[in-house]
Amino acid sequence: MRAAVTSARAPGREHDVTLTADRPTTTRMLEVAGLHKTVAVGFRRRKVDILKGVDLEVNDGDVFGLLGPNGAGKTTTLKVVLGLMRPTSGTVALGVAGLSELGYLPENPYFYDYLTGAEFLRLCGRLFSMDAHERERRIATILDDVGLQPAAGVQLRKYSKGMLQRIGIAQALINEPRFVLLDEPMTGLDPIGRVEVKEIIQRLHERGTTVLFNSHVLSDVAALCTRIAIMRDGRAIWQGTVDEALAASPAGDLESFFMKVVRS
Amino acid sequence: MRRLLALAAVAVCVAVVIVYQTNRPAAATPNPVVFVPSPGFYKNFSPSVRATLADVYWLSTIQYYGEHVKSDHRLDSLPAMVRLVTSLSPHFTEAYFFGAFSMIDVGRPATAYALLQQGYRANPRDWRFPFYLGFFAYTYASGAHKDAVAAQWYADAARLPGRPAFVARLAAELATKGNETQTAIDLWTQVYCQGDKYARQKAVTALDRLLPTDKVAREKAVARLEPAVPHALFAQFVADLFQGYN
Amino acid sequence: MRVAAVALNTFRETIRDRILGVIILFALAMIVASLWLASISLGQEDRMIKDFGLAAISVFGLIVAAFVAASLVRKEVEKRTVFIIFSKPVSRSEFIWGKFLGLAATMLTVLTGMTVFLFALAWMVAGSPSGSLLLAGLLIFLQLLVVMAMTMLFSTMTSAILASVWGICVYAAGQLSHNVLSLSRLGHSEVTHVLSTAVFFVVPNLSAVDLRAAVVGEAGHGTTLLAWCAYLVAYLVIALFAATWIFARKEF
Repeated sequence: MRAAVTSARAPGREHDVTLTADRPTTTRMLEVAGLHKTVAVGFRRRKVDILKGVDLEVNDGDVFGLLGPNGAGKTTTLKVVLGLMRPTSGTVALGVAGLSELGYLPENPYFYDYLTGAEFLRLCGRLFSMDAHERERRIATILDDVGLQPAAGVQLRKYSKGMLQRIGIAQALINEPRFVLLDEPMTGLDPIGRVEVKEIIQRLHERGTTVLFNSHVLSDVAALCTRIAIMRDGRAIWQGTVDEALAASPAGDLESFFMKVVRS
Repeated sequence: MRRLLALAAVAVCVAVVIVYQTNRPAAATPNPVVFVPSPGFYKNFSPSVRATLADVYWLSTIQYYGEHVKSDHRLDSLPAMVRLVTSLSPHFTEAYFFGAFSMIDVGRPATAYALLQQGYRANPRDWRFPFYLGFFAYTYASGAHKDAVAAQWYADAARLPGRPAFVARLAAELATKGNETQTAIDLWTQVYCQGDKYARQKAVTALDRLLPTDKVAREKAVARLEPAVPHALFAQFVADLFQGYN
Repeated sequence: MRVAAVALNTFRETIRDRILGVIILFALAMIVASLWLASISLGQEDRMIKDFGLAAISVFGLIVAAFVAASLVRKEVEKRTVFIIFSKPVSRSEFIWGKFLGLAATMLTVLTGMTVFLFALAWMVAGSPSGSLLLAGLLIFLQLLVVMAMTMLFSTMTSAILASVWGICVYAAGQLSHNVLSLSRLGHSEVTHVLSTAVFFVVPNLSAVDLRAAVVGEAGHGTTLLAWCAYLVAYLVIALFAATWIFARKEF
């Protein structure tokens, strides 16, 4: 069952919202059209536009890289897609039945200090209403996948940064999602950890899972992604395949292409 | 070097604290009159808060009593303190009795009597109030009608649940105006049996004055009292009355 | 299932928190200290231990209720664990109710431990058990549930420290609410009367059944126990619904 995630969970609170019952086209996992987000900041509630009309298309099975300088609106876009924030206007259409088919890893994740790794994953499994037997099986598998089986009984407050990142990835994958959103998944990881995360993303891609991730590490993006979008100042200013980007790049690498687009 | 200086500074501070505390001036002369808040201030608090406050003020009442009873023997603020405690906690019966006996200590039987009357109004089913009121009327009142008043109190006590059997007998004794000294000995003996440690001390002091000083005569008099004293208490009763006798 | 998951998580997090252990130690120390106070109470050991012991349980239970409840929701938002939770199919109301029930379970565990400890101590001193102590502990628990619900409501609107302070104020006001209507009659103004009536209904009536006073032999108020329990439950349900309504409108 596929459904569209629409905006405005608080009727009457937002304006110019298009509620769509349309499904994305068969090959699309995510369609974002004309996404605006305005927030009120400070004592005088000054209006600030964070997203100024974002258009994004993520195909089913893509490994999609969302790039941009700090403050471009990448994390805000992800939050709107997940329903953590409500858009001021625009549409978001997802090719999944709901949050039960999504996985999400926030940037610099923080977890519950006094839970062990296994207890935390068990919590996540219960939040997905997973059957107990299936839940335990998945926990064992996923802990193995991220290399945290030996630390499963250790409280999360004793985990290193890299271990926290890996348990974060584990909780994003516990429900075997069809669409995984990862916000800066390589942050805080040592080179071995980064290689392991890249392998996980590759395995997900091979299984047909759609992955969308933000990253500042362009070499990783170039190695992993099939398509990318570049955001700046609340807009997606470029979208296309990695090959198209490399072809248009002054120096033949993603970094120079990125700089060219962002500075234009 | 810095660590040594830090340790030296801490050592100096510890020394200052210890020296100051050990040389602190002795507690100031107990003030015979202390500030006692009006019970009305607390009337809007919930019953549990009032009960806890009563306990706090009870402790300060005891402290006040302890400071003054052996020094200047002035308990000017005690009635107000007891009234505060009992206003906050009207069923705190021991506070009334303590206050009453304390007032007897400082020669204010009328105040003692008034406290017990207040207690009886708040606890009309407690036989001890009319019992002690009768005892105080008999022992400390003057005038031709004191026996009749005491007899009436004992009659009231005799009608209340939980009273011991001797109360009715005492009421009858008073009504028929029996031997006054013997009646007084009987009454103080019952105070000894029914009261707490403090009341027992009072009873021993009074019985010591009323009983014969001759050892043999005293033994006879105490033996006569044996049926009225609970068996478990009698040995202590005898020991208390024969302190100083060989 | 999801409410239970959030509740179990909250229970584990709070019961394993060292701060809770410190608070409990202090409470037990206070209860034991009441033994010392009782020793200078001139024969009133039984009353002193029960009264001060229950007061200690109330005070420390209030500290847990106000400070832990205030940080329950706030901490999740500040530490951004809400991103983990709400990226899964969990509704805002399931989250709020789960948090509340988890902390209620923690509070029940803590209060049960302290009350049983006091019960044993009082039994040792008095020589006979006092069942009313256990019932008083249960009623303290119910009062604190209301404080927790109100504090959680405040925490959805303001900072954790302010929510804690307001929670404590609710408890204090709740001990006085039975007097609000009688106070209003002292004034002659219609405005005072209207305001007092509003305050009377808004502030929870936490002293309608006062078993703490009854434990030491004083009379409380006349409301029946069951009616009061139903009132408290209804009150906290309203507070939690309000908290859910406000929290549902929050963005992260």
